[in-house]
Amino acid sequence: MLSLADFTAAEFETVMETAVSFWQVLSRRTRKVPALQGLVVTNMFFEPSTRTRSSFELAAKRLSADVLNFAPGTSSLTKGETILDTAKTYLAMGTNLMVIRHQEAGVPGAIAAEMDRLNTGVGVLNGGDGLHAHPSQALLDLFTLGLTLDPEQPTASLVAGKKIALVGDILHSRVARSNLWCLTACGAEVHLAAPPTLLPPGFADAFITQSPIDIPRAIVQHSTLAPALDGADFVMTLRLQKERMAQHLLPSLREYHQGFGVTRDRIQSCQPTVKVLHPGPVNRGVEISSDLMDDPALSLISDQVTSGVAVRMALLYLMGVGDKGG
Amino acid sequence: MTEIQLIQQVRVLDAVTQTDQVADVLVQDGVVTEIAPSLTVIPASAEMIQGQGKVLLPGLVDLYSHSGEPGHEPRETLASLLAAGQAGGFTRLGILPNTEPAIDHPAMVEKLLARRQAIAQTNPSLPQLHLWGALTQGAQGQQMVELVELSEAPIAGFADGRAIQNPLLVQRLLQYLRPLGKPVALWSCDRTLRDTGVAREGPFSLIYGLVGDPASSETAALAALLECVAEVGTPVHLMRISTGRGMELVRQAKERGLPVTASTTWMHLLFSAKDLGGYDPNLRLSPPLGNPEDQAALIEGVKAGVVDAIAIDHTPHTYEDKTVGFPSAPPGAIGLELALGILWDTFVAQGDWSPLTLVQALSTNPAACWGQMPPTIQPQQSAEMILFDPSTTWTVAPSTLCSLSANTPWLGKEIPGRVLRTWVPPR
Repeated sequence: MLSLADFTAAEFETVMETAVSFWQVLSRRTRKVPALQGLVVTNMFFEPSTRTRSSFELAAKRLSADVLNFAPGTSSLTKGETILDTAKTYLAMGTNLMVIRHQEAGVPGAIAAEMDRLNTGVGVLNGGDGLHAHPSQALLDLFTLGLTLDPEQPTASLVAGKKIALVGDILHSRVARSNLWCLTACGAEVHLAAPPTLLPPGFADAFITQSPIDIPRAIVQHSTLAPALDGADFVMTLRLQKERMAQHLLPSLREYHQGFGVTRDRIQSCQPTVKVLHPGPVNRGVEISSDLMDDPALSLISDQVTSGVAVRMALLYLMGVGDKGG
Repeated sequence: MTEIQLIQQVRVLDAVTQTDQVADVLVQDGVVTEIAPSLTVIPASAEMIQGQGKVLLPGLVDLYSHSGEPGHEPRETLASLLAAGQAGGFTRLGILPNTEPAIDHPAMVEKLLARRQAIAQTNPSLPQLHLWGALTQGAQGQQMVELVELSEAPIAGFADGRAIQNPLLVQRLLQYLRPLGKPVALWSCDRTLRDTGVAREGPFSLIYGLVGDPASSETAALAALLECVAEVGTPVHLMRISTGRGMELVRQAKERGLPVTASTTWMHLLFSAKDLGGYDPNLRLSPPLGNPEDQAALIEGVKAGVVDAIAIDHTPHTYEDKTVGFPSAPPGAIGLELALGILWDTFVAQGDWSPLTLVQALSTNPAACWGQMPPTIQPQQSAEMILFDPSTTWTVAPSTLCSLSANTPWLGKEIPGRVLRTWVPPR
């Protein structure tokens, strides 16, 4: 699984249903199932990551898989080995599933293509590549929204018709791209808000007109925050990298926060039931105010992390079971 | 003993005489002696070559490509480059000077031309080399080379191959070079505007999450250069036009009567940013592939003659070089052996270009951009021509390529078109 751009609503439901069953597993006394016993899951994180890697690692362990972790600091990439050499090394160790994160768009796809070319049957899961995609994050966000809307029976279709504001450095965000494909395919209306340097004109239109599958996608973009928040059911904030100032994209963090920081005051115009999300790690006081982030009545940030394990179990399971069967 | 070949019933294409006819062509000792619908008096010693279904074209001329030698021989040696050029139907190959060391001194020019002569000892049909002398030392865009001295060496003209960032230096170069009368080729790219961009900015850079390089990185630099040409008057060849707006600027410049010629590359005619969804590092080019409307404008521009030449900009990189993520892949792809068959198939067989349009863009015009006599197929002229079979297909693989590198999106694919034979006049 490399991208959500061509996922249909039915496919999102399958992931959700599977995630629900693992969510239930995680609330039991014995939080482990033998679903992937004997399989090897390799976390190949060329780009450093703690939370996503930990989440995948825990998910794999809860499914009783054996887990290998690759970290570039201890790797041979600096010794002239290519990304495909690294992947083949783990293939030779008997890896069945690879979770790949890389700082550049397309690397998980390149490794997946090589695994296919070699007819290995190894499944590749994109753990985040460059600015391109972060499918597991978008799926755990979807699951979090579903749980919020119906804790008993969370489904993808629950977000249909909901207004979801996506605020922040959208241009440089793989989370935003995956969320856009995911939420719109499930019928949500997504409102983007950022300064034009972080949300170029034509961004929404590109996703609407260049969708790889022929489905209507409701996306509206704004250069101010207020219209995006107005009547929103959920507000998703994105991390702002501090180097954006040096790149002449923003004058200052202060001005950014004044214009686009999500605060308790600003979300007054949202639905009364509004909840706020953030993929983490958060720059407190920049993209979201500290007190809002810590308010359990309004913030879903911890729920997102918890959902992550169940959703990643579902993804590993769906791919791993295919591997066992074939 | 006289060497005689008779190519029977071949489709002869010649852009100089605007010929497109089926004929018998007689070649004696490297000179075309007769072209006639049907030759009846045939010398007994003539080698008979069946031409039915095949095309006889003037030798192809590539304005600019990259040699790995000197400096990066694992990518390409001069021998493999010449072999690739020959396999692709090229009889004249332009080589950019950004080798290591650079072609920025007469001694390097002499050395490379001598190398070519040595390699051609055993294969006289290898293409002639036309070396671009560097404009700046090491082709680094900082300090002028000794231009007068270098101009006395047998160079085809002056170019860096890289975009010179300092407009004052460009202006001074054009002033200084004006009396020398040598061709000058410049690539317009403002690296400040390009920044870290790797894909032409537009809907596809946005959805694929590739950092955008705005069209203005080409057009702002191009507009500045054209103003400079208008002021100084030195003729300039504009390399690697890759955007619709860039095309428009070239068209306007020609209408103004500025002494400019222009080229795009064959890859920019065949692909667009839309094709980057697979993140194939072989589609990482500099300048980046245009958006579909840029591509359409370039295709139209070649047809209308606004873009004079199609350059191959053959850029070999090893497997290790290219087995990285798209953004960090070194830009460029190989093309000498692939271009003719694919361009013919796409734009002549399946498109709306006349075959003479393609011949003009790949042979006649690039020669004219250098101020050279173009290859032509006419009686009493030296035979500088190729026999091309558009219908034979072959699979692109390291083992089937003459080039030492296989960095092309067609790797592993079956492509149409094979050059069967090449005639190159001795220099």
